[in-house]
Amino acid sequence: MILEISNLKKTYGDRTVVNIESLQINAGETVGIVGNNGAGKTTMFRMVLDLIRPTAGEIRSKGELVDRHDQWKNYTASYLDEGFLIDYLTSEEYFMFIGGLHEMTAAHVSDYLLQFQDFFNGEILNKGKYIRDFSKGNQNKIGIAASLMQNPELLILDEPFANLDPTTQIRLKTLIRSLKEERQMSTLISSHDLNHVTDVCDRIILMEKGLIIKDIHKTENTLSELEAYFAE
Amino acid sequence: MLSTFLDHQWKAFWRSKNKGGTIATQLLIGFVVLYLLGVAIFLGIGLEGFITQIFPKKDVFEVFNGLILYYFAIDFLMRIQLQDLPTMSIVPYLHLRIPKRKIVNFLNVSALFSAFNVLPLFLFLPFCATAISGVYGPLTALMYVIAIFSLMIFNNYAALYVKRLSIQNLKLVPILLLCIVGLGLLEYFKIFSIAAISNEVFSFIADHPFAALGFTTFAVMMFVGNARYLRSNLYVEELSSSKEKKSSTDYPFLDRFGKVGALVALEIKLILRNKRSRSAVTMSLLLLFYGFLFYKKDVLDKDKLAFILFAAVFMTGNTISMYGQFMFGWQAAHFDGLMANKIDIKDFIRAKFLLFTLFSTFITLLSCLYGFMSWKILVVHCAAYFYNIGIGTVIVLYFATRNFKAIDISKGAAFNYQGVGASQWVLGIPYFLCPYLIFLPFSLTGHPYWGILALGLCGLAAFLTRGFWVDFLVKEFNKRKYKIAAGFREKS
Repeated sequence: MILEISNLKKTYGDRTVVNIESLQINAGETVGIVGNNGAGKTTMFRMVLDLIRPTAGEIRSKGELVDRHDQWKNYTASYLDEGFLIDYLTSEEYFMFIGGLHEMTAAHVSDYLLQFQDFFNGEILNKGKYIRDFSKGNQNKIGIAASLMQNPELLILDEPFANLDPTTQIRLKTLIRSLKEERQMSTLISSHDLNHVTDVCDRIILMEKGLIIKDIHKTENTLSELEAYFAE
Repeated sequence: MLSTFLDHQWKAFWRSKNKGGTIATQLLIGFVVLYLLGVAIFLGIGLEGFITQIFPKKDVFEVFNGLILYYFAIDFLMRIQLQDLPTMSIVPYLHLRIPKRKIVNFLNVSALFSAFNVLPLFLFLPFCATAISGVYGPLTALMYVIAIFSLMIFNNYAALYVKRLSIQNLKLVPILLLCIVGLGLLEYFKIFSIAAISNEVFSFIADHPFAALGFTTFAVMMFVGNARYLRSNLYVEELSSSKEKKSSTDYPFLDRFGKVGALVALEIKLILRNKRSRSAVTMSLLLLFYGFLFYKKDVLDKDKLAFILFAAVFMTGNTISMYGQFMFGWQAAHFDGLMANKIDIKDFIRAKFLLFTLFSTFITLLSCLYGFMSWKILVVHCAAYFYNIGIGTVIVLYFATRNFKAIDISKGAAFNYQGVGASQWVLGIPYFLCPYLIFLPFSLTGHPYWGILALGLCGLAAFLTRGFWVDFLVKEFNKRKYKIAAGFREKS
């Protein structure tokens, strides 16, 4: 079990933003988390990444508490928002830095980035720009590519499809699928785009006001089921 | 339309997120400005008397006339340093149905709201109204006022114009600096004198009052030129950033430190590539000149070591205290990223130590030039250096674990109090008191040099036991890391 959440709760004042009794993510699962704004998706991600202290409950990654150990950082990669990027670096410098944290040499990193040529569409590398001067979509690409480069066993992406152009959206889906086949990567994706999540994920979790109200394995009816829910 | 813009600015000020901080800052700046105004009025009213006292042999009018252009030359330099370009605030209006002309007008009018545009009036008007009016008649006095007013307007727009040009063309800055230094040297070697030119120009105005309108023409030309330039370059992209190609850099020298070195390289890039951090570090380099104020002959001869010690600690450690006081707020924008990535907190803290050590070593080497004045300075600087890298760094980093305020690194540092909280104000006390706790017991019993030695040894001891301090700081950091991360996420 790559991720195990039990009795997780986060409250701000008297407002409960996350309240999850139990949630398990297995190795090799691609899980989509859907829910309207304020459902608690990002807050949950931040707690999983030990960026916010839960009010109650615990999160275990491979059996170890994430707020006690650092072990999970070795196999977990994430990209939630631009706050994860170091915006005064050039994109190459950023990749080198992230690669360096995982003992990759410069040659290693540039080699690895070759696979992303399609994904980058010639817009990311050797542009002579700092990350802060890239468009939002391209910043997104940099963040996602940097997280994939870490060869994670657990990948956490917050709304990865937002701001991406259609071609890149499709390429990202292909990448996630192939990585899952190749090395049993587990992925947690939140998205507002029901088409994409149902397409790429094999399990869908529906959140509302901090609670998990549906946890289903994808079937061909899932999309219409979700659309019906959100149409209400 | 203009009033709508001003109304929006007003609201932006009162509704900004860190309102308390901004208001406190504005109050502080307000007091400084009031003080300066007070001084200006006082000087202005008493100008005649002061001049006769300081230059008893010279003609009052000659000195006054000489003063005017001198004042505006310095005023121009100060404006280039301190006056803000009002640009970013117009972004939300550019795509709306508002003629460019009005937006340019707004920029030009809002540029007038500056203390620089009030000071000269207070400083020079009283003299014009009394002495000049008395001797040359009210018409001449009025024309004097018009000349001074025009110079002020000219300076206002010329400074903004130069600043705008220098944003687009970075080469302009060194050229301009060279010109200024050249002029300064010419003045210094008395090859030519601003005062003499100023005196000639204003004596001419005293004889031919309407010549003052010449200045008005210049001011109007500057205003029109500035407005035209703005109008044809009203693109945020061009107003705010240079299009110079950025390249990746490496610091191979840091590679030997492994991951810690990589983190230090990251922070050095942060410092060099962002406005606020760059100016904070530049400021601390300028403070190296502090020694000239402190190291006087009589201080050195009489062994006033307590005096020297303060300057020594201040100079060799100012990069640590000036840059370190806002830690880890510099990295607020990507703090989540650092925490979620595979970075050992121990390495993170070690990197700060390494960065501070490099800083302090560099600046101590520079400050060793004071050694030419006396060997005593070298000894004290050496002890202060060990204090800074051993104990000072620990103090600064301890306070850093209690700092929850993000720094907006894209703004300049002068008069910028964004991100200043309690921890910055308190930090100075232990930092500068601590050396005296070690030094004074020895010096009061008559062995000041033993006190210096003790200080150096304490610093060295702390430096050698750094592993322990790293563990201590990691513990402190972990206690509050969620609070720090939450504070940084709340962008001010």
